[in-house]
Amino acid sequence: MVSAARPSRSDYYRVLAGCLPKEALVVTALGNASYLWAAMHHAPENFYMEDAMGLALPLALGLAIAQPTRPVVVVEGDGALMMHMGALVTVGAVAPANLTVLLIQNGVHAASGGQALTNSGLDLAELARSAGIAQAENVATPEAFASKMSNPSPGGGARVLVLSTEPDIDVVRPPIAFDPVLTKQRFMSALDVPRYVPTMFGGGRLEHE
Amino acid sequence: MMDLGKQATDPHRPSEILDTLKRLGFGVAIAVPDSWLGEILVRIERESDIRLVRATHEEEALAIACGARLGGVRTAMFVQNAGLLSMGAGMVCLAQRYQFPLLMLVSYRGTVEDPVFYHVPKGRVTEPVLKGLGLDYARADRSRPIGPQVEAAATFAEEASCPFALLLSREDVQW
Repeated sequence: MVSAARPSRSDYYRVLAGCLPKEALVVTALGNASYLWAAMHHAPENFYMEDAMGLALPLALGLAIAQPTRPVVVVEGDGALMMHMGALVTVGAVAPANLTVLLIQNGVHAASGGQALTNSGLDLAELARSAGIAQAENVATPEAFASKMSNPSPGGGARVLVLSTEPDIDVVRPPIAFDPVLTKQRFMSALDVPRYVPTMFGGGRLEHE
Repeated sequence: MMDLGKQATDPHRPSEILDTLKRLGFGVAIAVPDSWLGEILVRIERESDIRLVRATHEEEALAIACGARLGGVRTAMFVQNAGLLSMGAGMVCLAQRYQFPLLMLVSYRGTVEDPVFYHVPKGRVTEPVLKGLGLDYARADRSRPIGPQVEAAATFAEEASCPFALLLSREDVQW
């Protein structure tokens, strides 16, 4: 639930930068979720989403399926989640143990100027549990967030941490170019995934270098 | 009158689709239900080398597919053409903008060959909408084997770094 005195997104990101699991892949939603993370912890293993509201969570699910040995962390907003709440159900059904979902609950559509949510008071952890994600908790402080991140709950399936957060309306200027194809290529190079070899070179398949 | 000789010799087109995906190394399939797709999805679920994910909505399915391809796995989608209509924003803002190669196998409902009253409105607008989105597509030719058409669509997606929709008839995809 959204509490009275809330930490900032920066407060949580500072903790996240310090306790990212080894070899973690990070997917961030549109707006400051991406811009601020790029400013605080740019890395090739970050996949920055722009626009495509509500699609960071399902994209991270696909990534977690494709990369089952690497931890995947996704930062999604409460408003974005409401646009594609079904994705929670799919995450619950697929139950990828390598996926950690950080839901920024600031009660507004921050990326569109702070407009009101349809319902800002939902218990999103309870919602996630109802969607089949047993490990879902509300978090109100950076200290509690640090504790949760350093002590992962036992048990299978994805994990959801709902971070009660003060809205950040002012747009953060990212220190890097947000070119979508560059973001994708940089990320895939960092993963060292197989690349498609054109048919002209006798390929037509994905192959490792 | 039923042509038994033709039935006995014609390959089973849905089997050809599945065999082609396996041969090309597809590792993930994301699906949203349509009655024509029901059985082929069950068959995919039995495959050890292809992971089937049942999504709740086609735009969500599109994002899952982008994520799987981002993770280095060749990925196909199975959706009805209604899903193409409802995933437009994700198509342009995510799949096309980030240039994700995706094979979309689409049950093409509401054409003159499938004149179901509630499907017709979707069939009528599907191709104009695809053109409007700038989404590359082809309508499968039932006079030719379906396997090579699936392979060509998959190859186009990869070589052009974009999603590609292959529009399928009942005979192509219903098991």
